[in-house]
Amino acid sequence: MKKGISRKRPALTQQPSPANPPKQHATSQEDEFLDEDVFLDETLFETEDDLILRDIEERQALASRLTKWARPSISHAYISASRSIAFQQLEIDYVIGESHRELLPNWSGSAAIIRIFGVTKEGHSVCCHVHGFEPYFYISCPPGMGPDDISRFHQILEGRMGEMNRNSKVPKFIRHIEMVQKRSIMYYQQQDSHPFLKIVVALPTMVASCRGILDRGIQIDGLGMKSFMTYESNVLFALRFMIDCNIVGGNWIEVPAGKYKTAKHSSYCQLEFDCLYSDLISHAPEGEFSKMAPFRILSFDIECAGRKGHFPEPTHDPVIQIANLVTLQGENEPFIRNVMTLKSCSPIVGVDVISFDTEREVLLAWRDLIREVDPDVIIGYNICKFDLPYLIERAETLGIAEFPILGRIKNSRVRVKDTTFSSRQYGTRESKEVTVEGRVQFDLLQAMQRDYKLSSYSLNSVSAHFLSEQKEDVHHSIISDLQNGNAETRRRLAVYCLKDAYLPQRLLDKLMYIYNYVEMARVTGVPISFLLSRGQSIKVLSQLLRKAKQKNLLIPNVKQAGSEQGKYEGATVLEAKAGFFEKPIATLDFASLYPSIMMAYNLCYCTLVTTEDAHKLNIPPEFVNKTPSGETFVKSNLQKGILPEILEELLAARKRAKADLKEAKDPLEKAVLDGRQLALKISANSVYGFTGATIGQLPCIEISSSVTSYGRQMIEHTKNLVKEKFTTLKGYEHNAEVIYGDTDSVMVQFGVSTVEAAMNLGREAAEYISGTFIKPIKLEFEKVYYPYLLISKKRYAGLLWTSPDKFDKMDTKGIETVRRDNCLLVKNLVNECLHKLLIDRDIPGAVQYVKNTISDLLMNRMDLSLLVITKGLTKTGDDYEVKAAHVELAERMRKRDAATAPNVGDRVPYVIIKAAKGAKAYEKSEDPIYVLENNIPIDPQYYLENQISKPLLRIFEPILKNASKELLHGSHTRSISISTPSNSGIMKFAKKQLTCVGCKALISNADRTLCSHCKGREAELYCKTVAHVSELETLFGRLWTQCQECQGSLHQDVLCTSRDCPIFYRRKKAQKDMAEAKVQLDRWSF
Amino acid sequence: MEAMEIDSEKNLQRKHSTYNLLDERFEIQKEMYRGQQYSQIYFARLHMMRTLLYSLVPNWKPHLPVCTVLGLEKDKECIVVGTLYKHMKLKPCILDEYSKTRSTTPLVKPHNFVHPDDHLVLEDESGRVKLAGMLSPSVYVTGSIVGLHGKETDAGDFLVLDVLEAGLPPQIELPLKSREDKYVVFVSGLRVGSSSSNPLQFQLLVDHITGHLGDEKEQGIAAQIVHVVIAGNSIEVPRGLLNGQNLASKDQSRLSEPIKELDILLTQIAAGLPLDIMPGLDDPANFALPQQPLNRCLFPGSSAYNTFRSCTNPHCFDLDDIRFLGTSGQNIDDLEKYSEAKDKLEFVERTLRWRHLAPTAPNTLGCYPFTDRDPFLIESCPHVYFIGNQDKYDSRLVKGSEGQMVRLICIPKFCETGVAVVLNLGTLECHTLSFGTHFSSYQHGFQNVIKDLQ
Repeated sequence: MKKGISRKRPALTQQPSPANPPKQHATSQEDEFLDEDVFLDETLFETEDDLILRDIEERQALASRLTKWARPSISHAYISASRSIAFQQLEIDYVIGESHRELLPNWSGSAAIIRIFGVTKEGHSVCCHVHGFEPYFYISCPPGMGPDDISRFHQILEGRMGEMNRNSKVPKFIRHIEMVQKRSIMYYQQQDSHPFLKIVVALPTMVASCRGILDRGIQIDGLGMKSFMTYESNVLFALRFMIDCNIVGGNWIEVPAGKYKTAKHSSYCQLEFDCLYSDLISHAPEGEFSKMAPFRILSFDIECAGRKGHFPEPTHDPVIQIANLVTLQGENEPFIRNVMTLKSCSPIVGVDVISFDTEREVLLAWRDLIREVDPDVIIGYNICKFDLPYLIERAETLGIAEFPILGRIKNSRVRVKDTTFSSRQYGTRESKEVTVEGRVQFDLLQAMQRDYKLSSYSLNSVSAHFLSEQKEDVHHSIISDLQNGNAETRRRLAVYCLKDAYLPQRLLDKLMYIYNYVEMARVTGVPISFLLSRGQSIKVLSQLLRKAKQKNLLIPNVKQAGSEQGKYEGATVLEAKAGFFEKPIATLDFASLYPSIMMAYNLCYCTLVTTEDAHKLNIPPEFVNKTPSGETFVKSNLQKGILPEILEELLAARKRAKADLKEAKDPLEKAVLDGRQLALKISANSVYGFTGATIGQLPCIEISSSVTSYGRQMIEHTKNLVKEKFTTLKGYEHNAEVIYGDTDSVMVQFGVSTVEAAMNLGREAAEYISGTFIKPIKLEFEKVYYPYLLISKKRYAGLLWTSPDKFDKMDTKGIETVRRDNCLLVKNLVNECLHKLLIDRDIPGAVQYVKNTISDLLMNRMDLSLLVITKGLTKTGDDYEVKAAHVELAERMRKRDAATAPNVGDRVPYVIIKAAKGAKAYEKSEDPIYVLENNIPIDPQYYLENQISKPLLRIFEPILKNASKELLHGSHTRSISISTPSNSGIMKFAKKQLTCVGCKALISNADRTLCSHCKGREAELYCKTVAHVSELETLFGRLWTQCQECQGSLHQDVLCTSRDCPIFYRRKKAQKDMAEAKVQLDRWSF
Repeated sequence: MEAMEIDSEKNLQRKHSTYNLLDERFEIQKEMYRGQQYSQIYFARLHMMRTLLYSLVPNWKPHLPVCTVLGLEKDKECIVVGTLYKHMKLKPCILDEYSKTRSTTPLVKPHNFVHPDDHLVLEDESGRVKLAGMLSPSVYVTGSIVGLHGKETDAGDFLVLDVLEAGLPPQIELPLKSREDKYVVFVSGLRVGSSSSNPLQFQLLVDHITGHLGDEKEQGIAAQIVHVVIAGNSIEVPRGLLNGQNLASKDQSRLSEPIKELDILLTQIAAGLPLDIMPGLDDPANFALPQQPLNRCLFPGSSAYNTFRSCTNPHCFDLDDIRFLGTSGQNIDDLEKYSEAKDKLEFVERTLRWRHLAPTAPNTLGCYPFTDRDPFLIESCPHVYFIGNQDKYDSRLVKGSEGQMVRLICIPKFCETGVAVVLNLGTLECHTLSFGTHFSSYQHGFQNVIKDLQ
């Protein structure tokens, strides 16, 4: 978490020569060209004219493009600086530069200058340099140190800083130190404030080194060696600025006329100016200022021509195409669509195709696009890890020094850095970090991985999931072939590339990412870029810091304690009474349980009373709560907690947002409000997690363990009340029974048989029990499950009813429906069984279905695509400690054909095949395509035992008495059929002979189809053959036309090799089966 | 061959006509599934039709330039020829059967997938463009080829101002000589073996055709029947039995009984006059168009006669130099699912005007992936164009701009209606033969209603 929020750049050097180096280069090239012209033959002049003509045309095309690309030109009022500038900021960072002479006449030397990038409502880009904000932090004032000792302390510290930073040319490290009256947030204290020292340093980096010195301790006259606890010393500088200026992520900022000075143009922004931080007006995101500026969103995708058998590498493989779409925020359609290609490419309707002869030109054209279009947000799929680093590294390989000037700052190159991002919630991920100054990067892949649990994150399956749109998947080994073809094949590639640029934009729109993320930034107060690149805790910390500032509290910089604080008891789960419930089950839910507990019992850092303090302070018991886990917190009448206050505000704001949402008419306004209420909900729920994160910013186990202990108590309490009240003794029809309870919900079977009656009782119970809790803890009744299949803790399925007329949906939890390392068969089987059990209420039907499926599996009638298991290949075989099926397979495939074998990063699909007895599981994996082509028998037992049996038994055990025997070992498992492989050793010696279609007896070639015995059954046997052909033809037609549909062309062959596609293997198989069936049928034509 | 008419007191002599089978292009002989895809058939279709449409442009709008989809320029009026693709919201998608978790409400299967949001796209080898303007998406289907006059708009769409369809193909001249009364009987949907088929009804039809019924006058009419066409769905094979498993002997007979029954009746017809039998959707034949002839092994009795012909679907032949073309109905039924018209005959007429028997193949109608040709193009205009297995009888005479005359016929399902269609070769007039076996009319043996609907 210590990484700076912005890259520290050397001071913006003055540009010595105003002329742009690249331009110079271009002209010199032209000169050379002209020199050669002189020596050309007369005969060539004609073509030269053509060339000139074409050159003129190209220039015109470029000029018209540039006018289309540019931002709206700025009005006079802006140029003359006579009006205030209001803009929505998207990115805030800082640089080290000379302090501004006019604005800060008394300053000298270098200082941190905050840069705010944003867009005005007219669509002008803004770069605002903010001066005068200084980095600082606090330490607690050692007892006995008075105001007079400060200057001495200052000197000592300055001296130590000088020793630490010998090379630094800064004249003064510590700007000044002052004594302030504040209080630490930790623990309940009776005194209002203590003296603290606020240490203001020259540059943000010095906060850390100064903190280091103070942590280790310094020698102070009269006090001896002393180490200090620092406060708020790990707050990122830009965040510190935002907090102190009341700026939240993505809000509007206004600088009044006369308060800013138009700056020399060091950036590509239209409006660039300097101002003092005290002159900024930060607008709360309300009313007019809740809107979004029309910022420009660039969605792009690149294609690279890889070599056979290798994933593209920037050191070898050229970038051949870049597709770009630029959309204005709030508009439906992109206003710029183009694709830049290496070598000629046929035109595409509605798209500007720009072709170049060299890769250098392609890259530079893209840089020009970035510069001219000046996008505020750059999106794409996997751009952060692949596209952007690739472009930059490629340009480096080609030696195009002027390429990576992609940011908004002139002459500042973009660099690639390797980073690891680690968070408890998201796990550790390695990633490349590319900073494009002033532009927000939004990688849809990262957002997807953060926000959704999906079985696959390929762009194809993500868009199939959210947009119900398939895209064709061109294998990277084909891309080179298409590139090396002609203008038509390259056009094919361009269309594909455009689609890859278009889909991220569609996803962004569909999932309202811009609204949701901007609102999240506004609610939590962090810059938008933090939301993707950082964990949850920074959001809570930002809110905590803001609130603490209001309350005059300071947050200590706790040293990372690791996990030594130990674990605390988590949420409670009531014992599940497994079974199939055919009476309605009412569900009582606690609404935002953990936030409510924190509010109800005033749990906070500043209300916690330590055990020592408890004796010392001697607080009367009526002012404290003793939590079930044994901690003591003071009640709110003595000291209101900050966390409860933050939560109250969040929940109140959510209530307001929801009310406004109901009123709102404008769809854009609705989107903003919905994004806001969602952000508020997520934020409220993450506060608890913040206190429990042992390696977080400010863990406090006392709080989190108290929260869960209260939660457990409440679940138990609810259970007991239900049991006591809803009994026949108290006049109810049946005795209620609590069948299950999880973290924040309790499932009750009231015994009534209609959904409506269960709903009424559920409401009554919720109201009655809520009355026994401290506000705002509230038990709500929301839904009824009927019927309900409870398998075990956290595993259940049921039909969910929220109104007595019609069920809403089938709700399942913890059941194999989405796990990605299962084959599709499991998912289908489980889904179908649940459907039959819950919706059709047909237990025998479900049993029969399972039996048929198992029989199909054993009889080799199963569709192969249902059996494919997919796993990601994250590293090469040697790096894996245990041998894994997919890794071994990848190795084997590489030996077969290096060109199509999966590479690291690919997903490897495989099926388990029959192998010699005793073969290890990892040796039995095989490529599904290979299996199809060679008739290799699959291993039905593996699928039966390792894939389907467990999930099935889980479902059926509560229903059937001896499920395992009935389902997995019945008579339907007796007959087995295994196909003969066509490539195995022994088959090479086998002689193929015709057999009778009817009875498989060997026949002579003269008979062709049937033996004399079966002759009489000719018609019947023919019908069978032809019916098989007919079925296959139906399938063949439907599959291949579907693929044509996806690829969006009737006249071109389907190239797609998307192994994520559910019909990929079927399509292959249909083709092969069809050919075989046709041969069989032809035996009849005589 | 001159048909003879010897009218004696006792022996009625059946009339004859010359027959010329033209099914060759619908036959799949050496063609194999070798991994070819459907793009080639579209290519072949576009290639043929574009040559044709280009030749029509000079007479249509000579002043306009002809472009490819790629050559379009903004606001420049031009003519483009291409294959239409209809984007349909309701079109069933095979992916849904796989990937979507099963919805709790069963999928409604409408008989028609047309939706107001459907839109058309024009495609050629070079690219696609979305169409706007006057072209009605409810009329056109994926796979039909048209010429369009229009211009590209700012949004990148192509604004259609006018449409050029291929129109009726050229026709061989109708022979004028010997326009005597001869009849051809069309029947479809016999469905022998199904619950709805009535064995007696079919027997009555056979007896009528073969002249075993009625008085002399009626027999005289029967003698003028020179040809019978059975347009698909003759047998109902219990599909559930054909799941790849071996059959119990009881089921074996359930399967072969209807086939035997049909063979017996066909033998009776074939003994008297020429008979063409075409496969249909539910027959024991392949599924994809063109459907190949029903195998002779199904008809051990009737196939012994040289008057018995097992034909392809679609089926084309000349009878006394009159050109017949017809299908067992799949092409029109598919059009009905994916487009709209006031009646079935309008669909039939559209296929003629588009000069394509089955434009929706392969997109929604199964078809063999031809590599070098599109056998469904109608190169020469038939005189009689028949469609089997329709809900009710209907017929109309269509005239082309160059004097072409085509008799369009919808043949109803016999097992449901008891109606066969009779065409007079001399006049190309049409009427129905209706067989009822209700109790009221049972005493009379049968009810022979001849209605001249023209």
